[in-house]
Amino acid sequence: MNDPNIKNIKFLHSGLLSPVKKWGAKWSLWAVHLVTSCCGVELAHTYASGYDAERWGTLNFGMMRQTNLIIVEGTISKKMAKALRMTWEQMPDPKFVIVMGACGLEGGLFWNSYHIVKPSEIVPVDYFVPGCPPTPEGLMRGILALQKKIESGEAKATAKYQPVRLEEVLEIKEVKERKPPKSPVKIAEKPEIKIEPRDVEWEFGKSFVDELNQKLAGAGEAFITDVNRVYIRTTKERFLEVAEKLSEDFDHVKSVNVIDVIHEDKFIVEYTVSSYSSKELMPVLVTISAEIPRSNPRFPSVIDIWPSADYQEREMYDFFGVWFENNPAMGEKFLIAPEVETPLRKDFKIPQPNYVLGGESE
Amino acid sequence: MKEISVELPVEPPVEVKSLFLPVPPGLMEESYKKDELVIFVGPQHGGSGHMRIIVRLKGDVITEAIPDPGYVHRGMEKLAENRLYLQNIPLLERPAIMDCANFNLGYVRAIEKALDIEVPERAEYIRTILAELCRIGTHLYDAGILSVFLGHTTGFMWPFAMREMICEALMRVSGARITASYIVPGGVRRDVGRDVLEYIKEVTFFIERKTKDFEKIFIMNPVTAARLKDVATISKKDAIKYGLVGPFLRACGVEYDTRAVEPYGAYDQLSWDVVVADEGDSYARFLVRVNEIAQSISIIRQAVSILRSMPEGNVISPDIAGKKKKAKKKEEEGEEEEVKGPSDVRGKLYRYYGRLTLPPGEYTTVTEAARGTVLYTIVSDGQSTVPYRLRVVTPGWLYLKGFMESLKGCRLADLQAVYGSFGYFPPEADR
Ligand code: SF4
Repeated sequence: MNDPNIKNIKFLHSGLLSPVKKWGAKWSLWAVHLVTSCCGVELAHTYASGYDAERWGTLNFGMMRQTNLIIVEGTISKKMAKALRMTWEQMPDPKFVIVMGACGLEGGLFWNSYHIVKPSEIVPVDYFVPGCPPTPEGLMRGILALQKKIESGEAKATAKYQPVRLEEVLEIKEVKERKPPKSPVKIAEKPEIKIEPRDVEWEFGKSFVDELNQKLAGAGEAFITDVNRVYIRTTKERFLEVAEKLSEDFDHVKSVNVIDVIHEDKFIVEYTVSSYSSKELMPVLVTISAEIPRSNPRFPSVIDIWPSADYQEREMYDFFGVWFENNPAMGEKFLIAPEVETPLRKDFKIPQPNYVLGGESE
Repeated sequence: MKEISVELPVEPPVEVKSLFLPVPPGLMEESYKKDELVIFVGPQHGGSGHMRIIVRLKGDVITEAIPDPGYVHRGMEKLAENRLYLQNIPLLERPAIMDCANFNLGYVRAIEKALDIEVPERAEYIRTILAELCRIGTHLYDAGILSVFLGHTTGFMWPFAMREMICEALMRVSGARITASYIVPGGVRRDVGRDVLEYIKEVTFFIERKTKDFEKIFIMNPVTAARLKDVATISKKDAIKYGLVGPFLRACGVEYDTRAVEPYGAYDQLSWDVVVADEGDSYARFLVRVNEIAQSISIIRQAVSILRSMPEGNVISPDIAGKKKKAKKKEEEGEEEEVKGPSDVRGKLYRYYGRLTLPPGEYTTVTEAARGTVLYTIVSDGQSTVPYRLRVVTPGWLYLKGFMESLKGCRLADLQAVYGSFGYFPPEADR
């Protein structure tokens, strides 16, 4: 108790000049730039000329060392959580946290995602501003509430709701026993994934596919699935051969995709390529696909042929654990946090919604 | 000056390991030997949009930039596999909420393609207007963020004031300032009244006038030009090789715009130009988008005047509303009647879409969002009410490679300017 530091802090908090200090803190809430998610759009509006939050002495600022407020703008992912904590720890006292958006409250739209955490588990939160995204007025209300809290020292909710009993409002005389609704989500047990040729009116496509089939010379089978969409089925061994042949016309990869067909114990790997250099082929998307067994998910990488596939291959490694041979970055997590393993495989389950009536869910 | 390399035993700082910094193995040792610095930019940095870039520096020139994305990765592809097709509409506009209409449009078109339904003409025009409004909004947003990156606060205030008008327009159309979720399979959620159309037209005049002022303040400001010109130039060849998209590709001289290449909505019935530039530097990337605003304004005005002469109502396809079947029955009975879709889905949303199932197969659409191509692939098994697999590739994710390559040879001080010139928005790239 005799520590002079603690004494000084006590003096600051409740001494003679404490009202001045509180007044100062109240009108200089500087928020650090920590745009964690899409709520940042409304935050920017709050601080821009339309709503002008600077009127209340609050201002966005670049460096955390010179700020005292974090406005968490929506979702905090598992990867961002560390950054949030570090930012908070580096800020000087007194510091405050406002969490914006439904995502920051209970997860919002992303409540059952494998990659999010609740900000309140990482930093102490002063105020939540619900909404998706909250309007600028909503955020300003949060800031004003924080100012009040600084002044009076106690946190109060800014809105109070009367409990409503639906039966009374709707004047229902007798309540029949009701059952919770059934979930409309229906997931087939043994789904069939079939991608088949389709008859469409596309003159250019027919001659194009014929030519393509000749060029491939048995390395793969090309067919039309829709107007401007061509599908080539090949094998893992001959994949690079097909890619090599196609790369004469098609110069970039638009999408790398893996489909997990768990009940048939295979992955379907798809590359969707397109062309920027030939005007005629611009609208055409060619998908090259091959199947690989789930037990040995290795696939040849095409980054030597199409460098634009690089990041997407690494993403697929994160999602499915498919190892793209020759891609030097394999083995390192790129997009997702290191602790999450192959989340997009079908046997990785995420929580499902629970339909209940009224009361608590279990 | 000749460089002399010395073999010294080097040890990277412990923080690299203890803070789980995602450096590729061997990078630290190699850079130390070459007398290079490794600097971590982000995830908390002075601008907006948070990802980490690991830059290797020789003096103050960047020799390599390694991205570390995923700070806003929210697993949308997985979530979409567990939700109804209808529930995925709001989910899939979250990557870039200021660009909601374009992101919805791509997804909804994939569903329409699978179900093989025609969208009423009026709905197509309304969709086009909304998509262009969002495009203008996103370009303005990026202009604002670019000025923040350049430390030009006034340049931030102006576009955001203009964006207010677009938010208001979206609110009058759909009820929400930003997240409209307005486009549904088969049409749009409800019809747009005359007064709203008038308002949208006024907004275009307002933006046109204010863009002129903004030009003086920021766009043509010599400081802006000096910071952006000849910075991070990408050649046409490289742009194609690294698969750039959207305005960033067009700034390198490639005339590729999905709206023109594979027209959807009402784009093939309106007259507009694809904006192209040849320089490929940061300034060109910015100017292309500024010029696109003018094009979008003209598209909106044309669409509004066409809509005005169109009868109101009929914005949802009769196929979705189940009217076609009824009409067929009547036709068999001898009564012919033109089928018209409803003008509102209020109260019927679940009935129309709740148990929607797509025929088995794979459906891919590409859409020109404000920052470039967004690609949706839906794989359906024909039995479930949810997609079996949904692939979303957003523009940010596609141009990230080109963005990183373009940083090579820039000065460290230019990194923020390049970042801003790409309008990189992590929620969009990470999904
Ligand atoms: S609350 Fe809504 S707007 Fe905010 S981050 Fe979450 S999804 Fe985005």
